Amino acid sequence: MTINQILPFISTAVMLWFTVDVFQRYFARRNPAFLFWGIGLAMFGMGSFAEAYLSLAWNKWMFFAWYLFGAALNAAWLGHGTLYLLARKQWRHVVTVLLVAGSLFATNLMLQAMPKLDESVFTTSKPISEQYGTKALKAGETAPSGALTITTTYRGEEVTAVRGLLPLGTSVRLTTPFFNIYGLFTLVGGAIYSAYLFWRKRVMPNRVIANVLIAAGALAIGSASTLTRLGYGEYLYLGELISAIMMFAGFRMAAKPQPDEVVAMNSIPASAD
Amino acid sequence: MAIQTKANSKSHMPQNSIFFEKIVPIALISMGIVTIGLMVFAAGVLLGFVHF
Repeated sequence: MTINQILPFISTAVMLWFTVDVFQRYFARRNPAFLFWGIGLAMFGMGSFAEAYLSLAWNKWMFFAWYLFGAALNAAWLGHGTLYLLARKQWRHVVTVLLVAGSLFATNLMLQAMPKLDESVFTTSKPISEQYGTKALKAGETAPSGALTITTTYRGEEVTAVRGLLPLGTSVRLTTPFFNIYGLFTLVGGAIYSAYLFWRKRVMPNRVIANVLIAAGALAIGSASTLTRLGYGEYLYLGELISAIMMFAGFRMAAKPQPDEVVAMNSIPASAD
Repeated sequence: MAIQTKANSKSHMPQNSIFFEKIVPIALISMGIVTIGLMVFAAGVLLGFVHF
């Protein structure tokens, strides 16, 4: 096995540990933010595992899990957990309904795309993120050497395209940017905003560092995914592992009480309960 | 006996710390810029300006 085949399995193990930790906190405190974080992390873990599996062999349901949970939905569900910590109650409910409805809609579109997958283009020699989409070539643009191409009619025009697993114009791909923009805005934006609030008040340095780690971790995977789409896929697996470790470290640090918080809590008279 | 108050329940940032005075704000601003860049990229994909 190569290092690029081992890294996703390590990321999956980190995400599994992280997910169990967050769900334990949800069952202890019943805070919905932990529930959405846990669901988003479980999706991240499933996406990582599917990616690891697809670096070794083909399975269409692994591809389903990779695209739907790993590429489309996980960032939005993670970010929604952060929204629960920061937004007003009436907004949270409206956005939760939209997120659940949007996720079900994307799942339905993905199920519709499954019979149309072009499985013949799959190879274990490239990351799945470099071969899932069919890309139409612009006039004068040439296909990369060794790429499989197809000439087809798309939006009323005859185009040559580099073949990918999902056919040209697959509807589910149109939903992905919505989820990712929302996830990036709420998860990274929320962490930066929280860090700024604590920093401005000059309190809780652990929460400042924790939110910086969460934001940096989320940006690591966002940047690695973007680089992959621009043709630099070799950084994706490392980006995922860095992301998993940084977000987990940030979450643990944020959840840990400060020394003087513990002192203060221990000093509260029992009757104060 | 100490009573918990808002003031004593929070730890404070160290004074004159280069990490908190310089590195943290630079990191927050940089990450904000990268976030906006990635959101613009995703919006470009959605609107068809970016092909991949």
